Amino acid sequence: MTGIVVIVAAVLAQVMLVNQLPLPAGGAPDLVLLAVVGVALLRGPVAGAVIGFCTGLLVDIVPPTAHLAGLYAFVFALVGYVAGRGAGGRVATVVLCVLLAPLLAAAVGGLLTDPRVTVATLTEQVPVTIVYTLVLAPVVIWLTTRVRQQQPRYTI
Amino acid sequence: MRDSRHARLILGLLLTAALVMLTVDHRTGEDSPMRQLRAAGAWAFGTTEQVGGAVTRSVGGFVHGVITAPRAREDIARLKKDNAELRARLAANKLDETRSTELKRLLGLAGLGGYKVVTANVIARRGEPGFEDAVELDAGTDDGVRADMTVLNGDGLIGRVVHASSRTSTVVLLSDPASAAGARLEGGQEIGVVHGVGENGRLLRFRLLDSTAPMTRGGRLVSFGSHHGAPYVPGVPIGVIERVEPTPGALTRIAYAKPFADLTALDVVGVVVRGPARDPRDAVLPRREGAR
Repeated sequence: MTGIVVIVAAVLAQVMLVNQLPLPAGGAPDLVLLAVVGVALLRGPVAGAVIGFCTGLLVDIVPPTAHLAGLYAFVFALVGYVAGRGAGGRVATVVLCVLLAPLLAAAVGGLLTDPRVTVATLTEQVPVTIVYTLVLAPVVIWLTTRVRQQQPRYTI
Repeated sequence: MRDSRHARLILGLLLTAALVMLTVDHRTGEDSPMRQLRAAGAWAFGTTEQVGGAVTRSVGGFVHGVITAPRAREDIARLKKDNAELRARLAANKLDETRSTELKRLLGLAGLGGYKVVTANVIARRGEPGFEDAVELDAGTDDGVRADMTVLNGDGLIGRVVHASSRTSTVVLLSDPASAAGARLEGGQEIGVVHGVGENGRLLRFRLLDSTAPMTRGGRLVSFGSHHGAPYVPGVPIGVIERVEPTPGALTRIAYAKPFADLTALDVVGVVVRGPARDPRDAVLPRREGAR
């Protein structure tokens, strides 16, 4: 339940606040990705994939959208699964997911010949997003460690 | 890993569902069944964004002030004064005052060109997750906004409406790499196409169709206007050419222009619900510096 609240809050905060900030280098951290990774880390691969899929669907329909519906459902389902399954340590998992999501989105967009996905997107926009998201990643790692220690009392 | 086969099966099913959805949306285009889903999303979340807009706008204004402060580092005194002024303004809750001056300038521009506009506030912005540069406005079909209408602010062209629900609408900005707008060089008949290049709207790419026509740094662009003024009405200022690419022998010439409107920090905008009866030509452009 808390997980759902966290994710919906992340989606709304992303479009209403974070994307409107004129940050240097013209990018923004991806809070939604971090929320999916955090919840999936605590819930395992099955729940991670399902939560990722639902979050992606939410991202695809929350206005403003101008991309094809289903793109982020695909990307976040895979990211949720990977985060839930774990790849090495917790830090390695989070870093892997943060790198995986934008590249996967660009790859799927590229396959669908989205005119927005070009070489410049990969060399300029994606790295900026990854850096901003990695800057916020320690917060997620810290929060998941905390919640896991208190697991008997709190369930996500 | 326990339950690994089960987990992989579920992942496979979910990924297939997502791919089916993508394919359906991609192939059916305008009459996609996903439109219903999007309309529902726009209704539910558009309302939330509208309610939350007032809060996030003031927070956004504050953070914007803090973030843009380093640019004025050379002039520390001015920075301090600005910061103090900004904080004081926030504290006194006078943010509405700036919005009203922005609104006044917008109405001035609209009056100059003879555009009939509906004013709106930007309530949400896309950029992450996603590659599009789009914003959500708090005006929809109830206010007369329809798809394919021009959106501008007091400085110049912003973009065009792509979907409109009853109370909110989605606007694709000029800086979106998938957007293309017809443009004309000031004081002539030379036309071309303006494309976004991402970079959060700091630059636009202008492709001049006639490679022999003169084009220099400082040249200004206005919108050329589309058939029946949809999606773009004529005469709206777009930007100033910053550099011209040397492309000898090419059929078209490329230049990069800085947009008049600051696409990184949008607040009050206007949707042109009715275009001018005749093309205002260069009348809407701001007065040149130094000229009388």
